[in-house]
Amino acid sequence: MTALMIVLYFGFVLLIAYNKPFMSRLITPGLSVGILLGALVIVCTWLLTWVYVRWANTHYDSAVDKLNR
Amino acid sequence: MLAVALLQAATGPATAAQTRIGEPNAVAMAFFFVFIAVTLGITYWAARRTRTTEEFYAAGRTITAGQNGFALAGDYMSAASFLGIAGLVSTTGFDGLIYSTGWLVGWPVVLFLIAEPLRNLGKYTFADVVAARLRQTPVRIAAAIGTLATVIFYLIAQMVGAGGLIRLMFGLSYETAVIIVGAAMMAYVLFGGMIATTWVQIVKAGLLLGGAALLAVLVLSKFGFNPVRLFAAAAEKFGDGVLAPGRLVTTPLDTISLGMALMFGTAGLPHILMRFYTVPDARTARKSVFYATGLIGGFYLLTFVLGFGAMVLVGPETITAIDRGGNMAAPLLAEALGGTPFLGFIAAVAFATILAVVAGLTLSGAAALSHDLWVNVARAGTATANEQLRVARAATVVLGVIAIILGISFKGQNVAFMVGLAFAIAASANFPALVLSIFWRRSTTQGVVASMLVGTLGTLSLIWLSPTIQVDILKAPSAVFPLKNPALITIPLSFLTGIVVSLLTSDAESLAGYERVERQMHLGHSTST
Repeated sequence: MTALMIVLYFGFVLLIAYNKPFMSRLITPGLSVGILLGALVIVCTWLLTWVYVRWANTHYDSAVDKLNR
Repeated sequence: MLAVALLQAATGPATAAQTRIGEPNAVAMAFFFVFIAVTLGITYWAARRTRTTEEFYAAGRTITAGQNGFALAGDYMSAASFLGIAGLVSTTGFDGLIYSTGWLVGWPVVLFLIAEPLRNLGKYTFADVVAARLRQTPVRIAAAIGTLATVIFYLIAQMVGAGGLIRLMFGLSYETAVIIVGAAMMAYVLFGGMIATTWVQIVKAGLLLGGAALLAVLVLSKFGFNPVRLFAAAAEKFGDGVLAPGRLVTTPLDTISLGMALMFGTAGLPHILMRFYTVPDARTARKSVFYATGLIGGFYLLTFVLGFGAMVLVGPETITAIDRGGNMAAPLLAEALGGTPFLGFIAAVAFATILAVVAGLTLSGAAALSHDLWVNVARAGTATANEQLRVARAATVVLGVIAIILGISFKGQNVAFMVGLAFAIAASANFPALVLSIFWRRSTTQGVVASMLVGTLGTLSLIWLSPTIQVDILKAPSAVFPLKNPALITIPLSFLTGIVVSLLTSDAESLAGYERVERQMHLGHSTST
């Protein structure tokens, strides 16, 4: 999951660094691809942490409990 | 790291624009005194509950996930992110988003790799974790160097920022402002320890989020509550360029390097890492990161609205006329929307923000000095609880005084590079050492120590050779090292050093301890005592 986050963010940064025209394209007046992707990176960050916390709270914790017993 | 260019605030005197910024503002003063009174009240309450080292450093490990989430957010959202990003967006548009996202994406890394092992293995500082199966003395000395380097550069940046900001907002002299910040911060930490620091962070995070949200709602109400219409208005006024990557992104490598420092620096910031010891167990630590990520992400989305709002409703010319760095964008926006009282409120919030971050930083620095250097190195772990507390408080005073002196002596400097430096050191000295010692069986004392030292010294020297110092400050025609932020080189270099030196040396103790440490890391047995 760390890898996924790194890929997401650096994908974004690399697009900014190397593909300005793509990021500048307007989807509708006022909304460029870059802004949309930036907001999506933030949303994806939330989703990833949520998925991890869900997984850890259900699977990981019960495995740890078993080992502890 | 120019988002943090609030430090340029120190350079731009207020000029004759239609604003009351820079004049003593009764509302700002009132809010400010209420904040100080409330936080000192908290400190008084906390002081009566702070008798042991565990209470002083870790709030007795009684903080809940929600509280710690807010406190983490409070520690992390410095004035740089509030004023700096809003200012950056208001003057450059899209580019500010690079910082917003960069500052957020470090959090999953903290969550996936660091938070739980840290809580299960350590006591008060991240050096506890690195030293869990390695030799104490060298590891703790190296870790304390990394911690103090990070903390001091971060502190200077905040102090200079605070001085400039308060001068602009309240009309106080720079020196007075720095001394007030230093004195209030020392009071919180000295008497209230981690309990007071945590609650100051919570209050501040609530204020900051509330203030930013209110401001954003007011902005959006002018655009039918549709952010796209706000962006469209900005594009109409200033061209589509404001919605696209612009002048900040000149060299691709610099952008990537900055991104790396932001992403991995978070996982190496001592004052953030220390917060994970304030909760009862790893499960709570995990949940608190989730809350923090939500709060911080939400906040950065808000700053984006604020930035574009300031661009459209105030205008970049007015903003840069007040302060070259653009840092007064959010306060100016507040004034445009809610008049002088709202300006006063936002100014007080910005001040509270700096104060809280400074307190958190000082506490983590004091922990490195007393817990790592004094108790575990000088006294080989035998100090009594009373002595530990005395040393921790003495260390707080020392750091507070250093922060005030450095804050005053760096007056008027553009110290933006110092926050960049703090993040780069955290990412290159602390983060690799943590990862290597937690996850790699073969790591040795020598390897990890070498990695921390190379990370710290490498970052310091590359920053020295970078254009930020050579060209901007020393006025040399060109710099030896082309990147403004060295993280691209120093993070891999630090990992590589750790791995190579570990492979060249052997450390039977470390190998033998791996099973035990790994067990404790997952199961959380014999957590702190």
